[in-house]
Amino acid sequence: MTHDLGFWTLQTLNALQLSMLLFLLSIGLTVIFGLMHFVNLAHGSLYAMGAYFGASLAAVGGYWLGFFLAPVAVAGVGVLLYSGLIKRMRRSGPMAQVLVTFGLIFALLDLTRIFWGDLALALDAPALLDGRVAFLGVEYPIYRLFVIVLGLAIFGALAFVLGRTQIGAMIRAGVDNDAMAACLGINVERLFFVVFCVGCALAGLAGVVAAPLLSVTPEMGLQILIPTLIVIVIGGLGSLKGAIAGSMIYGFVQTFGAVLAPQLASILIYALLAAVLVIKPVGLFPAKG
Amino acid sequence: MLETRNLDKSFGAVHVTRDVSLKLERGERRVILGPNGAGKTTLFNLLVGELTPDSGSVHLAGEDVTALPVSRRARRGLSRSYQKNTLFDGLTVEENLGLAAAVHAGHATQLWSDSLAKPEVREIVREVAEQVNLVPHIHARVSEISYGMRRQLEVGVALATRPLVLLMDEPTSGVGPEMSKGFHDLLNNLPRDLTMLIIEHDMDLAFDVADTITVLNYGEVVFDGLPEAARGSKLLKEIYLGSWEDA
Amino acid sequence: MFRHSTLRYITLALLTSLALFQAFTAAYFGLEVLTEILILAMLVVALDLVAGFGGMVSLCHGALMGVGAYAYTTVSVTLGISPLVAMAGAVALTGAAAWIIGAICSRSHGIYFIMATLAFGQMAYSWVFEAPIFGGDDGLGGIPRLDLGFLGIDLNDSRSFALFCLAALGAVYGAAVLILRSGLGRSLSGVMHNEQRMRALGLTVWRVKADVFGLSGMIAGLAGALAAQHIMYISPGLLAWTVSGEALVVVILGGLGTLVGPLVGAAAFVLLKHELSAITTYWHLVVGLVLIGVVMSRANGIFGWIEARWGARLDRRLADATRKSAPEEVLNDA
Repeated sequence: MTHDLGFWTLQTLNALQLSMLLFLLSIGLTVIFGLMHFVNLAHGSLYAMGAYFGASLAAVGGYWLGFFLAPVAVAGVGVLLYSGLIKRMRRSGPMAQVLVTFGLIFALLDLTRIFWGDLALALDAPALLDGRVAFLGVEYPIYRLFVIVLGLAIFGALAFVLGRTQIGAMIRAGVDNDAMAACLGINVERLFFVVFCVGCALAGLAGVVAAPLLSVTPEMGLQILIPTLIVIVIGGLGSLKGAIAGSMIYGFVQTFGAVLAPQLASILIYALLAAVLVIKPVGLFPAKG
Repeated sequence: MLETRNLDKSFGAVHVTRDVSLKLERGERRVILGPNGAGKTTLFNLLVGELTPDSGSVHLAGEDVTALPVSRRARRGLSRSYQKNTLFDGLTVEENLGLAAAVHAGHATQLWSDSLAKPEVREIVREVAEQVNLVPHIHARVSEISYGMRRQLEVGVALATRPLVLLMDEPTSGVGPEMSKGFHDLLNNLPRDLTMLIIEHDMDLAFDVADTITVLNYGEVVFDGLPEAARGSKLLKEIYLGSWEDA
Repeated sequence: MFRHSTLRYITLALLTSLALFQAFTAAYFGLEVLTEILILAMLVVALDLVAGFGGMVSLCHGALMGVGAYAYTTVSVTLGISPLVAMAGAVALTGAAAWIIGAICSRSHGIYFIMATLAFGQMAYSWVFEAPIFGGDDGLGGIPRLDLGFLGIDLNDSRSFALFCLAALGAVYGAAVLILRSGLGRSLSGVMHNEQRMRALGLTVWRVKADVFGLSGMIAGLAGALAAQHIMYISPGLLAWTVSGEALVVVILGGLGTLVGPLVGAAAFVLLKHELSAITTYWHLVVGLVLIGVVMSRANGIFGWIEARWGARLDRRLADATRKSAPEEVLNDA
């Protein structure tokens, strides 16, 4: 089976699809960290909320309504979090931040249960993307291809914004040295706010995109959190390159590990993370030195 | 006692230390002078191992220690104080000295007894507290003593490892002239067999304490000799633009 | 550096009497809650040792406790070796695992340390979940309790078991105090205050960190072995990272770096959890909000707050009293 072209195509696509989903989540988290030195453990909860908002909105106006509005709604939650909590916790140490956002995970978990109940919700892929296409010897679901293309598109767009535009230059300056950026006349506070909201929106987008692939449950945020953290720690905090590299590494190691060495698969990624931390304690492509 | 051979270090395109060779005899007190950015602190970091040189070597008591990490060089008798206070802030003077003395006495990793209560550790703490004039403040926390006393404690912590060679990075930095004078006496009263390398801004102190003087400029040794010769050196005047003449 | 202030002694005495009172008067359910508190208290003492006194904020202590529980169960149930040996084995194995984790993570700081320990915890979790000998998701049951028949004690009785756990907690607390007052513990607090300086003084910093992490792991392993005996059934959920997160919450809620505070935190947390889950299924919401409130108030937890308000005053009053009775000698006395 492993010598069959179809097998490799299928697994590669699966790996890419997982990578792209993780990329959507990790890019927000990593840039927020790079810029604000803020660790938001509740990032996974925002992803779960994206899925819930998506499912509810889709029930009213179809998948695409959810697809476009869920990220906006999650960004709205982000605005509340930013003004209520994050702004005040910015200068606290990592432990205080980890704990506050850990508390937030608990709170948001129960809030989703209060609003949407304990039962899993389902969100169907839109009719446009339903079905399968033949592709290099495999029949692959169109929706999964859509996830891959969407992830790559967002990566391209972010690479353009961060690398070629003025706001990107401001963000990079802020990641590099926020005090210096402030001296250069950049409104760092507003920059943080915008980046935080965009990060939240991307988490929400990841949630609504993931919803048709999984079932929507309150725990989905907790389940995705650890992989996302692994991605950003392997990749190195604060950089786009790190987020995409980490996502790819995670996606491929996890997917191929599961089919090629099932006994080792679950430990493999953690062992890899431990190895990275020992050899390069700040990850592969950190934003700073 | 302490020797460097052709030490070189650059950060990117900036050459911070160039071909520095120094030799300190046992008990020698040498002062390093040089303008800001001359590479004095970098030299210290290379000596104690906080930086690794690009080339060249460091020798302590006749042995090449270039490959040894900071902690092992320290255990062989190389101790340093910092230009900015690097103390254990929440702890008392006694505990600050005790932590250092415990490492020297070999009790720092013991599980079965309190290192700070060991007689030999307490003995070192008492002696060093006397040497750096902090006996009356032994139970005060670092936050409760004056800045000048913290500078004394900074040197005291380095002394409490009972080093062969003591490196001091601007021990009187930020201290007023009167206290500086007190510092001279403090340094002059230390045991004669202790080898000292001192980075100093204060010319008076330099000539007061130094047996020999080394001048660094742009990472290079531009003068190496007796204080009397340094005083008359034209080169030194140029480097300092004569600013120390009136001091 | 760890000191036993008057307030800490008072609190310890108070907690011990309450626990003893509860152990002798409570019925079955009360004893179960008490035992749960005592076991959690051991875990958080272990965590406070590294996080509060060494700056090593570990997110794998729940998993270490799980390793202890699984090690005990595997040796006693699967291999059929006597529970006493199994317990010693569990403590030793967890300590060794923790020592290795501590050694590997000793170069990481801040958020990287947290993430690195999290990764090791998850590694253990996944392994336990996947490996067939651990029973996977179903877990393992039929776990025997220690046989203290030769002392005339039957640990299958809830009251005896609760008292046994109280004694174990007392021993753990005493060990933690001894560790903190040893040369190793002194050096650890030096490392927490200023790692660079300790290194420059000649200390092999990674060894100190690894040693203390290993000792803390032994305590966590003991807590795990007792937890397995308490519930007599274990599942991989014991190693989930949220357990480590909760342990950290308890330490913070009680007061980081006070050793006494986490004991208060453990009692408060378990009682809060039981009271709340009796009223509402959404007790996580309340715990989450309390946690956010405590951290944002910038007080060092419940005990830290009490200590800041009354601790210093109490000590001063006591010091004044002693000074009056013995003047002069203050400076020369150590």
